[in-house]
Amino acid sequence: MGKTNLFSTMCKNSDVGRKISKDARSKIILTTRVQLARNLSDHKFGSTSSSQEKNDVLNLIIGVASGIRELSDYKFYTVNKLTKVQRRLLIEKHLMSPEMTSRMQGKGVLVKSCPCNHRKSVSIMINGEDHLRIQCAAPGLNVRESYKEIMKIEKKLEKKLTFAFNSKLGYLTACPVNLGTALRISVIAHLPGLVMSSKITDFINNITNIGCRTVGYFGENSEIVGNLFQISRRATLGRSEEDIVEEMNAICLNIVEEEEKARQTLKANHLVDMEDSVYRSYGVLKYAKMLSYEESLELLSMIELGMELGIVKNVKKFNFSKLVNIIGNSHIMLSMKKDKKLREDEVDFIRANVIREKILKRIR
Amino acid sequence: MICDSCGKNKANIHLIKAINNNDAEKMNLCNDCAKNLLFSSGESFFSDLAEILSSILEIDVKFYKGDENKKFFDSVDWINDKKCHCCGTDLKTMKKTGKVGCANCYDEFKDGLYPLIKSIHGKIGHMGKVPCNSSKRLKSEKILRDLKVELDEAVIIENFERAAQLRDMIKKLQKKLYKSSNR
Repeated sequence: MGKTNLFSTMCKNSDVGRKISKDARSKIILTTRVQLARNLSDHKFGSTSSSQEKNDVLNLIIGVASGIRELSDYKFYTVNKLTKVQRRLLIEKHLMSPEMTSRMQGKGVLVKSCPCNHRKSVSIMINGEDHLRIQCAAPGLNVRESYKEIMKIEKKLEKKLTFAFNSKLGYLTACPVNLGTALRISVIAHLPGLVMSSKITDFINNITNIGCRTVGYFGENSEIVGNLFQISRRATLGRSEEDIVEEMNAICLNIVEEEEKARQTLKANHLVDMEDSVYRSYGVLKYAKMLSYEESLELLSMIELGMELGIVKNVKKFNFSKLVNIIGNSHIMLSMKKDKKLREDEVDFIRANVIREKILKRIR
Repeated sequence: MICDSCGKNKANIHLIKAINNNDAEKMNLCNDCAKNLLFSSGESFFSDLAEILSSILEIDVKFYKGDENKKFFDSVDWINDKKCHCCGTDLKTMKKTGKVGCANCYDEFKDGLYPLIKSIHGKIGHMGKVPCNSSKRLKSEKILRDLKVELDEAVIIENFERAAQLRDMIKKLQKKLYKSSNR
């Protein structure tokens, strides 16, 4: 305990000088997710194992996890016992990957902290693509801390479980893409500046060339909504974990810089265009009675940009990534705590209300 | 707009191929030319857009379908009936699912998988951490690897004093490893 406290104070101290820039960073890099995949040796991987074998793996892992003090405040959910909305919520919060909901037999997830909480959240997915996926999601650019967090858990589990390992290929995973360190870092970046100045294609090409993958906010094959991008690093073999972490950190800082530059250029050269877009979004958010999730993200993205550039002023300060989280369909459905299922238009109506409440200043 | 192929009729079909989201190749065709080019009958013409694209632009449709994982397997062609004796997965299934069946598959299908892995990652050779309950040998191999990397770095920044130290350490460790493997 003392050690972790010391660590956090050290972090705080070293960040004092960079306070402002860190704030700016977390406006562009909204969340960091670090994921570690592990498989048990002597057990078939998820795609070939039977339900019985999956249950065995699940029980084995849960048995080990329950003996670990650090994991005592984790909540365990069996995926097929959750309701559809609950499952969707876990996916919306990125606590669980979408593939966990297909063939749910024997799949489980251990989650720390209430899903509504917007601090660092750790989840352990069992029997997804790999036997174990340990994931830490933290707000802002937090690659190093998140990595340390999951490594702590992995070390504890490693003492009691034997992971599939090969000296040449590293940790063995179901998919060859993740071989080696099996460490995957992805961030969610909000890049309206690059999108509006149409530099985004060049930007994506550039980061693809250095081995990054860019997908939409909702993952593989999803459209780009609200200028939100999920950027992750490929190549996990042939590099040490520390190198991967440092590289990703550097890449992210670079992204922040590019986006900042694009925003400033936009403000200097196309102020009227920007004001027009921002105020249009403001108008819709202020008066619309029903807002879909996708539309809200687009509009909020513009308001956020407008606030950062000092264009729009009569708006409450809001945390963009936090707001994005609480206006998701599942979150709204669950937070209403109604027994009857909400219709889609009812959800859209509540969403519009929630957003108005969060961002509009009251007129006296 | 006039058809690119015959240059006479009005073009009704516009195909745009995006290359790296940046460049685009455009092709405008009239119905007749499109049918001729595709050798397809009228009814099934629009049934599979992916097929149309592939026959016109000679692209690999598979590449655009499915997720990232599967694409890597698509790049390798196997005609092999061998099955993994541990989980019973064959290469065909791997290609279909994009996943291997068990840890043993990596050994069993070494010939097919290693070149593939190399093409994904650039190289083969794990540089990261090793499990804490792995053999002493694995652990010292990991230390050896780290030392070698450090040595390269020391040489680059011309810290020869440190480099000499590292060289000696590596030699010592190598000797130890060699001895234990002979035993």
